[in-house]
Amino acid sequence: MIREIVKPTLTLAAIAFISSLLLSYVQKYTEPAIERQKREKLAEALRLVLPGFTVGEAHKVPIEGSEFTFWIGDRRSGQAVEKGYAFITGSPGYGGDVESMVGVDEKGKILGLSILDQSESPGLGARCVEVANRETLWDCLLKKIPFRDHCEEKRIPWFQIQFKWLDATRKIRVEKRGVWNPDMRPRLLEDNAISALTGATITTDAVVRSVERGTARLNKALAMRLPDREGGAR
Amino acid sequence: MNYWKEFAKGIWKRNPQLIVGLGFCPTLAISTSISNAFWMTVGVTFVLMGSNILVSLIRRIAPSHLRIPIYITIIAAFVTIVDLSLKAYQPAVYKSLGIFIPLIVVNCIILGRAEEFAQRNPILPSLLDGAGMGIGFGLTLFVLSFFREILGSNKLFGFTLIPGMEPAAVMILAPGAFFTLAFMLWGMNAVNSRKRNR
Repeated sequence: MIREIVKPTLTLAAIAFISSLLLSYVQKYTEPAIERQKREKLAEALRLVLPGFTVGEAHKVPIEGSEFTFWIGDRRSGQAVEKGYAFITGSPGYGGDVESMVGVDEKGKILGLSILDQSESPGLGARCVEVANRETLWDCLLKKIPFRDHCEEKRIPWFQIQFKWLDATRKIRVEKRGVWNPDMRPRLLEDNAISALTGATITTDAVVRSVERGTARLNKALAMRLPDREGGAR
Repeated sequence: MNYWKEFAKGIWKRNPQLIVGLGFCPTLAISTSISNAFWMTVGVTFVLMGSNILVSLIRRIAPSHLRIPIYITIIAAFVTIVDLSLKAYQPAVYKSLGIFIPLIVVNCIILGRAEEFAQRNPILPSLLDGAGMGIGFGLTLFVLSFFREILGSNKLFGFTLIPGMEPAAVMILAPGAFFTLAFMLWGMNAVNSRKRNR
């Protein structure tokens, strides 16, 4: 009885204990780095989606049972002060939620979109964070562009650039136009559309849907905040 | 014991995917680009070596009917280390490999080596076995992702090869992985059967 139940239990418990002890140390060492990455990512995303804006603290309001995070920023242009809003939104893709930050101006025009978190299939949906590089391997070898510089250069993924200047208040259409090329932009803007990721329609739709949902939530959140802003009660 | 043989067998003679037929899930899923393949190999090799050492270390005290849960606990611990370290120091890689990092836990190669080798052998051969198997796994991944990246996304090491050319998307999708793997298995079997006949 003791041999059959107690001993194996203790052995397994001991191994689980040692493993978790080891992991708690690993976590202690990696946590500051992970936190820093997260903060940097958020700050960088805010710079990207609200370019040139001074952004205040994050506001968190509960909407439809979940927390909605948004930022209000302003930018001087001549005499007037423009307002910009950034918010975090998500929608289920092929492998879990695709979470992104979207910046819009007062009229609902998208100023930028940055995908914060995704676990889509590599080479397909995960291409939503792929940077389009124009230089070919031969260019890099022949013109001797420093290899490291090239790889570390932070450029905006092409899929995300497409959202810039689109109207978030209207329906964003998805068109299948194959390999991304900046020349497609005028036509796509005219249609208020984006070019889908090849072979990853679900991911594309998830991002588009999350923009639509996020815009609706932002309007709700702003409506909720309006009284205390104008009444000045607080 | 011939240490070199224990190390080298994973590369050709007992290649985890092409001969033993294990670990196809990450092999097919991750081989879309060489950078993915490289980091996957680093992760898998680290977990393989770590779990092989530990399994070999406790091989005399672990009750045999409990070995599977024990191995899984050990493997999961190492995978969590890989997961946390990549998240902290290689966020871009972590982002692009996504779910396949945690899925190393269920990679049959690792459990297979613990079962087949580490629980019967001393530490040093187990370590070499893990390293060799990891490298063998990586080489298969490298060849597979080399062809898939060129044909499927018109790229090599992340650089565009022919500007403006539409790549064959099928190569980046699951069928492309199966086609390429089939050619590799064909080549491997052809070479091996010629060797046998001689």
